[in-house]
Amino acid sequence: MRIHIFVGTGGVGKTSVTAASALSAALQGERALVLTIDPARRLRTALGLDAINDASSADAARLQQQVSLDSISSGGTRGELHAVMLDVASSLNRAVRLHASPKQAEEILAHPIYQVLLRSLAGMQELMAVERLDQAIAEGFESVYVDTAPSRHALEFVDKPEFFAQLVSFPIVRLVGKTYRWWEKSGIGRFSRGTFELYTRVEDMLGSHLTRQVLDFFSIFRGIAEGYAHRARHTAELLRDPAITSFTVVTNPLKAVRDADFFLKELERRRFHVSSLVMNRVWPRLENMSRINDSLTTATAAGMDDATREALRGTIAWYDAVSRSHQTVWNHVHSSYSQRIPHLVQVPELPEDIAGLPALQHIAQHMKA
Amino acid sequence: MASTDQRLPLTILCGKGGVGKTTLSLALALRAALRGENALVVTSHPLQELAVSISLAGLKERFPQAIAHLFVLHIDPREILSNTVRQHIPSDFLAEAVVSSRIYQSLIEVAPGLKELAFLGRLWNLAQQRAPETNERKFSLLIWDAPATGHFLQTLQVSKNFETYLSGPFAELGGSLRDFFASPDNFALIPITTLEEMAVEETLDLVRALGNELGIQPRRVICNLASPLLATGDSAAPHGISTLASVAAADISLQFILSRQRVEQSLFERLRSTIRADYHIVTRHAARQTDLDLLLAIAEEMEGLPGN
Repeated sequence: MRIHIFVGTGGVGKTSVTAASALSAALQGERALVLTIDPARRLRTALGLDAINDASSADAARLQQQVSLDSISSGGTRGELHAVMLDVASSLNRAVRLHASPKQAEEILAHPIYQVLLRSLAGMQELMAVERLDQAIAEGFESVYVDTAPSRHALEFVDKPEFFAQLVSFPIVRLVGKTYRWWEKSGIGRFSRGTFELYTRVEDMLGSHLTRQVLDFFSIFRGIAEGYAHRARHTAELLRDPAITSFTVVTNPLKAVRDADFFLKELERRRFHVSSLVMNRVWPRLENMSRINDSLTTATAAGMDDATREALRGTIAWYDAVSRSHQTVWNHVHSSYSQRIPHLVQVPELPEDIAGLPALQHIAQHMKA
Repeated sequence: MASTDQRLPLTILCGKGGVGKTTLSLALALRAALRGENALVVTSHPLQELAVSISLAGLKERFPQAIAHLFVLHIDPREILSNTVRQHIPSDFLAEAVVSSRIYQSLIEVAPGLKELAFLGRLWNLAQQRAPETNERKFSLLIWDAPATGHFLQTLQVSKNFETYLSGPFAELGGSLRDFFASPDNFALIPITTLEEMAVEETLDLVRALGNELGIQPRRVICNLASPLLATGDSAAPHGISTLASVAAADISLQFILSRQRVEQSLFERLRSTIRADYHIVTRHAARQTDLDLLLAIAEEMEGLPGN
């Protein structure tokens, strides 16, 4: 089993690159899964995820979909491509139902803090991605491609599980969590809380209502959280094993220089193995300027006025300058990182936004080359 | 151009990841600083901080007068929260014990929206600051280089949904923030988008959500990384393009330029017919010698843009 994790900032085409890599593996005969956070509409269509558009009504089973490869492989592959859209609410509901007793599950699902967690969602995607990764491993996929969320902090995906694992193992959280409800009911808590001087201070800060709610929630959620933390720790180990997991940094020409430096440093600091850097959305060079100028001359002969011709000439010169500067960036990235990152790939920008599997296949072909 | 005192206390540049929020924030601030106004850009992401330091390299040597007016602040909500603890607890020893205790650290991580609340509180505080001697606003231009769409919406929603904090200092702060963001006289919201389908879709969704859930309307929309052809607003261009397309059908690289042009034009029309606001186009620049040169070129291009 191989896990491929794609990191990068927003707007670099990370989801497309991730999906294209999974497609490529499927076309080579693997049973591949792509795990995405929130694909854009057209990519969603390409992956057959339209049916699960309405996350509020979606149940866990429908969040996974096998993508038909018939349109591009004419039945020539025995590989499979499955796509999963990570939906925090339904993944978390599923985890609660799976790991808690029916009575506990009911309490958790109705708890105000649980509702707030679901509503705010901040930081939960990363936790659920790990949960979902475990599920994929259990389902026997040969390769899993994970598209991480660009939100907040690009590396929370790898930081959160470990944080969460630590959180539930802190003795005081366990202690307070375990005893809290009993405490509240018996009324002893009001007197003995003085012994938890620090806790009282925290309560002053955050407001006692909130603090109580959080602790109350944890007292019931703890069982699930511990099970989760155990799996999260195991997953974090898999992520550090270079024989199983590799990281790909996805960037674009505008961000390549600083992204490469930032992600390489941060990933290495966390002891993760960076195998590839993909510079996506590179504008193709104009191959034949003289032919383009000929075209302009012909167009003038066909009735184009001078002002329009000059505007177009200006646009072509501008395009040429931008595409040249992309190559300058690429040369810089190549000379700086070819020693440290095994695979450096540039993928040209498509003239229009991603449409369907053929567009993904197009990206995949460039990545292989 | 709006003079300093007509400007709103806070300018928010928001939008999809990769549309150029940080770059345009810096360009706007640089423009103000070069005119001698105090400008502050507030960011919340470590990567943005890195981008800022790279982009502004060389500023001190080339524009020593501007550097005194240009400020960049990276706000770490955890640090604000720790400082609040220190202010609240008179004993330094106890304050440190709380801040370094694991239960405190765990609770601030899991308390819903707490970090967002702390961030907005600091931002709000900066927007209120006035210079003691003149009583004018300390920062005549305060820009929030906001996080990408989803997290940005979550952050603003916290200013509305703070009912989990029924007591303590954060409940009070929540109330002040709700009042601040309820008045359009306090801030200018400026979505930035590129003219690409995904970015435009996201901008439309964002503006819809801001209007429906928070009652916030954009003041201006900036279309960034556009082609110079779009910026000229030349009505003859579409005709020229179709003429050129007919003679250049076989030329792949030219087809690339032309089809992008068509996409750009139609997305621009779609935006304008859906979101009613002022529009401003900023063209894509080829990389310059240094990032600072690039910023200066963009700043110059934004010269016509009114105050906020």
